[in-house]
Amino acid sequence: MPNPHNVAVVAEQFHGSLQQITSELIGAARFLSEKLGTGVSCFLLGHEITQLAERLVHQGADEVIVIDAPQLKEYATLTYRRAVIGILEHLGTPPQIVLMGSTTIGRDLAPRIAAYLETGLTADCTEFDIGDYEHKGKADPSKTGNFKNILYAIRPSFGESLKARILGPWKNPQMATARIGVVQALPLDTSRKGKIYNISVNFKQEDLRIKVLKTVRDVSVSVNLTEAKVIVSGGYGLGEPEGFEVVRDLASVFKNSVVGASRRAVDSNWIGYAHQVGQTGKTVRPDIYIALGISGAIQHRVGMANSKLIIAVNKDADAPILKFAHYGIVGDLYQVAPLLKKALIKMAKQKY
Amino acid sequence: MPDTSSKAGVNPDGTIDRARAKRMLNPFDRYALQKALEIKRDSGAEVTCVAMGPPPAVEVLIEAFEHGADYGILLTDKRLAASDTLATAYALHKVVHYLGDFDVILTGLQTTDGDTAQVGPQIAERLNIPQITYCEHLSISDRILNGQRIVEGGNQEIEVHLPVLITVANSATPLDYKRFADVAAVKEFLRHPEERDKRIRTVSLDTIGANPNRTGLLGSPTVVGKTWKIGDVGGSCIVFKGESIEREVDELMERLRTDGRGVEELINA
Ligand SMILES: Cc1cc2nc3c(=O)[nH]c(=O)nc-3n(C[C@H](O)[C@H](O)[C@H](O)COP(=O)(O)OP(=O)(O)OC[C@H]3O[C@@H](n4cnc5c(N)ncnc54)[C@H](O)[C@@H]3O)c2cc1C
Repeated sequence: MPNPHNVAVVAEQFHGSLQQITSELIGAARFLSEKLGTGVSCFLLGHEITQLAERLVHQGADEVIVIDAPQLKEYATLTYRRAVIGILEHLGTPPQIVLMGSTTIGRDLAPRIAAYLETGLTADCTEFDIGDYEHKGKADPSKTGNFKNILYAIRPSFGESLKARILGPWKNPQMATARIGVVQALPLDTSRKGKIYNISVNFKQEDLRIKVLKTVRDVSVSVNLTEAKVIVSGGYGLGEPEGFEVVRDLASVFKNSVVGASRRAVDSNWIGYAHQVGQTGKTVRPDIYIALGISGAIQHRVGMANSKLIIAVNKDADAPILKFAHYGIVGDLYQVAPLLKKALIKMAKQKY
Repeated sequence: MPDTSSKAGVNPDGTIDRARAKRMLNPFDRYALQKALEIKRDSGAEVTCVAMGPPPAVEVLIEAFEHGADYGILLTDKRLAASDTLATAYALHKVVHYLGDFDVILTGLQTTDGDTAQVGPQIAERLNIPQITYCEHLSISDRILNGQRIVEGGNQEIEVHLPVLITVANSATPLDYKRFADVAAVKEFLRHPEERDKRIRTVSLDTIGANPNRTGLLGSPTVVGKTWKIGDVGGSCIVFKGESIEREVDELMERLRTDGRGVEELINA
């Protein structure tokens, strides 16, 4: 029997390949489970994916509970919902903690599971910890209590300017989703051994109400966005694909630099997905991030807000990015970028 | 989620003070409203907007009317204060039950104060209906909805039978819902109490048959513990804006030279 007391992670795979977020979630779960003195269980859902279970063990899982079914070939809310509920029912006792990715899958699925279980869910966490909490409960005396070893789900709020610790000690599982690229994965350990359980679930007619007609996903090898010291990114403000020449040109001024992009530029087919920065792209924290013609939507911001220095060029003085960048230039990027390039080269020359 | 900091907006006699009231429709919800109005245009559907908040939140509904919504319902009750997402979804699904029949529920992605796209799916769960989150495009025919949702690195095409809940992506379409607007007509019906009451209903937890123990603090399984400020993120941008681009770039360079961040170290000499 699988151990219901482990910290649980819902693994994410796409067409048979495990997603980066999964190893990060396992890393976070290991950290939490060591504090709690338990282990890590992974839920693995999909079709013809059982072979991935061993890799989850190498990533740090102690147990993997697999549901391998044709209905789970493509992610769809209701079939995956049924599968997760099926595993939880199989466990009998709900795990204390269930972690998922703050991805378009995790954010679609986790709230439904939480609502089904009537339990708390904290989205979009950047850190986790275990600790105690005393609830004084002046307004809700029935919830008063002194709680030990509960999940601290830590997330940014109010436009990324605050961090908040969210607690849900009253009911298990305490659920949370984690942002991509913020928690550390563990080094792969191919000598690790774990237990693998295959279970099955009965899908009901109502679980099949969502038909996925097609999934288009660019899984091309990524450019080295996460390791570059400098990222120069272009957005929809470039106006045309050729605009990326200007972006590349400015990037060429820097050592160890790469070109990034907003989703809108990627969606317009101006540049490959591998360059995308943001919630559904890469989370980056270079020494310098230069944004050309990017408005600064929240989904872009979460991917680059931790850059050490952010410089934005935008012709609209009210663009949100000009509120959270460090420096902003209001103007046409086609005029600003070449001048900026020249000035940067001059600055470096004067130095030497 | 309305801006609850605004107490202005309603006169002592209950009428709306247009001059003092603050526009409060959450930017994310505007995309949902726009999609709803597009469905109305294409199919003749009726659009009902639901708001939850203190009485001044009626302003959100008026704004929605001005853009073409047909009915508004305001759920207002002190016992809703401090509801987390689960408790909010509970209350809102009760409103949906109270309203009766529906085909499509549209919600915005999230609120501006850091809420997290959870309420939509949680309403769908309680109503036991399918959902399409992060939806950018949709079309409906013969009670089948085809939607395109965002996924990492691309998108997904989905087909569902109505009823369904959709969370509309803020990247969906350029926001131009104002094109549906009819401000004069709204002014007119607001002047007639019977007409106004037909269009706007204000309900409490009791009206909709919601259990107050499942809303507000009591119904919220989570609580915000400690909060703290993070570094220099936000609000500190130095913006260079002047008569010439050359000047702006010069000023920026001056900063970079003197701010000790070492930008010059990263330039190819
Ligand atoms: C679920 C979901 C996930 C998402 N994931 C991501 C993600 O990972 N990454 C991401 O980036 N977005 C993501 N988005 C999309 C996001 O909401 C925005 O739509 C997107 O970031 C906008 O891209 P943009 O800033 O390039 O375009 P726009 O918002 O159109 O901004 C263009 C900007 O360019 C400026 N501009 C125009 N011309 C010029 C000029 N000549 N010179 C200077 N400035 C000019 C304009 O003033 C404007 O500010 C996601 C959305 C959803 C719903």
